[in-house]
Amino acid sequence: MLRYTLKRLFQGLITVWFIATATFFAMHNVPGDPLANDKAATEEIRANLEAKYGLDKPLVQQYLIYMGNILRGDFGISFTQKNRRVNDIIAEHFPISAILGILAVVFAGLGGVLWGALTALYRNRLPDIIIMFLVILGISVPSFVVAAISQLALVNLNDAVNFSLLPVAGWGTVWHMLVPSLVLGLGTMAYLTRLMRSSMLEIVNSDYIRTAKAKGLPPTRIFANHQMRNAILPVVTVLGPSIAAITTGGFVVELVFAIPGLGRYFVQAVQQLDYTVIMGTTVFYGAFLVFMVIVVDLLYGWIDPRVRLE
Amino acid sequence: MSQPLLKVEDLRVEFDTYGGIVQAVRGVSFDVYAGKTLAIVGESGCGKSVTVQSMMGLIPMPPGRIVSGTALMHDVDIIGRKEIDGRDIRGREIGMIFQDPMTSLNPTMSIGDQIAEPLLVHSGYSKKQAFARAVELLDMTRIPEAEKRARQYPFEFSGGMLQRAMIAMAIACEPKMLIADEPTTALDVTIQAQILDLLNDLRRETGMAIILITHDLGVVARMADEVLVMYAGQVVERGSVDDVFYRSSHPYTLGLRAAMPVNDRSAEHTLTPIDGSPPDLFHPPKGCGYCARCPNAMKICEDSDPEVYAMSETHTSRCWQHHPSATVRVAGLHYREVEA
Repeated sequence: MLRYTLKRLFQGLITVWFIATATFFAMHNVPGDPLANDKAATEEIRANLEAKYGLDKPLVQQYLIYMGNILRGDFGISFTQKNRRVNDIIAEHFPISAILGILAVVFAGLGGVLWGALTALYRNRLPDIIIMFLVILGISVPSFVVAAISQLALVNLNDAVNFSLLPVAGWGTVWHMLVPSLVLGLGTMAYLTRLMRSSMLEIVNSDYIRTAKAKGLPPTRIFANHQMRNAILPVVTVLGPSIAAITTGGFVVELVFAIPGLGRYFVQAVQQLDYTVIMGTTVFYGAFLVFMVIVVDLLYGWIDPRVRLE
Repeated sequence: MSQPLLKVEDLRVEFDTYGGIVQAVRGVSFDVYAGKTLAIVGESGCGKSVTVQSMMGLIPMPPGRIVSGTALMHDVDIIGRKEIDGRDIRGREIGMIFQDPMTSLNPTMSIGDQIAEPLLVHSGYSKKQAFARAVELLDMTRIPEAEKRARQYPFEFSGGMLQRAMIAMAIACEPKMLIADEPTTALDVTIQAQILDLLNDLRRETGMAIILITHDLGVVARMADEVLVMYAGQVVERGSVDDVFYRSSHPYTLGLRAAMPVNDRSAEHTLTPIDGSPPDLFHPPKGCGYCARCPNAMKICEDSDPEVYAMSETHTSRCWQHHPSATVRVAGLHYREVEA
């Protein structure tokens, strides 16, 4: 088990290195550079700035320097935000994104399993039909539309009761987190619902459920001990990629709800070609996702003894 | 004979399907006695499994439907009931094992826990007691290193071992009856023999009755005390194992025997298959179900359902051949001794 974990972590490290390298060269191949704005007024100033940031060196050398810095855990200084270290930006804003993302994953996971199980129980009856219709909506409508509509709905709701039931935007309290994380998790929840439903329906007719019935177990026990655990396996499998989908989707939701998360900085940095911030956030997100996928894989082994390792 | 443990009478089961109503079981009656093995034999789709599963409440309803019939156990009809005198029927009074042990156990639960489950639910054991008993049961079903094996999962067991584990689970609460629905069909021959021996030994030790569903006449000959031959949802012949094998009184039984390999090396022995296929149970034939495939069918066979003729006290046949006015004798068929 330990060997497997270490092996996976090592593989993850290679993946992150690959992400960093690809991003680095892709970024430098984009026309323009971070100094293209009004800052570099004259040739002289430009040359000085380039020297300061090391942009005058050959690309490969820049790459090696940058990689060395990353290995030491230093992502450098932002080009556009005065005197801000990328490490500080991440340390300050990532926790907010992480809370939002984790809440969204929890919503998506719990909701998906719950709705999926419910639709399977009520197969082809009214609750199933209604939920499955909503699921199709949830899958097909992109999150920025859902975000905007739900924000509008919140405004109207608060207007109607003439009282601020839930904050429309911003960050700070639990109430601020509720709607954005729901919106963020919605698409994934819909997808997981479908998955859960079909795997539940498959298992209802399986031989081992028949065995459980023949043993005379009460329906609640069959449901909890035999059906759920097996039905949840495919859901856990896609949880890793789902986390990726949710974190990347988070950028849009953060923007709509004015949440000071990392996503906003990432989007801004891309627009301004802020090299160090792009690199820092990309590598950090990459590492985070790779890590989450490994965690999910280990979790899978815990649930399903067949993939458990000695 | 003594009082039967289970007395099934006129059981009829239908299924609603897109194609119409399938009459899967059409009036089946039989008795099961404590300590004896009743074999139900017949080809695929003849209603063997549906008969026992409907009794156990294991067929999905809808689309399934029990139209009529009773199954008396201690003078209580168990159809549609969950318990007798506060004792659960499923798992407690009647244990059941299935055809494919590979898929019949929960892949994410340890073998020991699965065997312990009925004890937790029916016998009020604590978790620890139940697991300890599960280890004993595995030992009883001759699984070596039961202690270690109980902590393993189904994927770590072979097919034969899984069937042993299934048996251990089914007999955990010491049921009065064990229903084995084609228990050896998915296993290879040597393992088959071991499982059958195990079932026989357990029956002798515990005095439970066994209903053995199979389409293998070799298994029937080895295991059964009484045999029920089913065809197209009906019992066509019923009797002791000797009655059915040595005094076969239904052309279908004869057909099955002719299609059975025997231990005869000579080249002359050929297997004779039964031509055709079973009737469409959407529209069961008016007369005898076997009529279309029967080499000895008469005019009456097509028009009216045969009566059940008692060949002896224990032996019945559902065939017009035994009607007093049937005069042409079929070779190999056993007839009643009719007084002149």
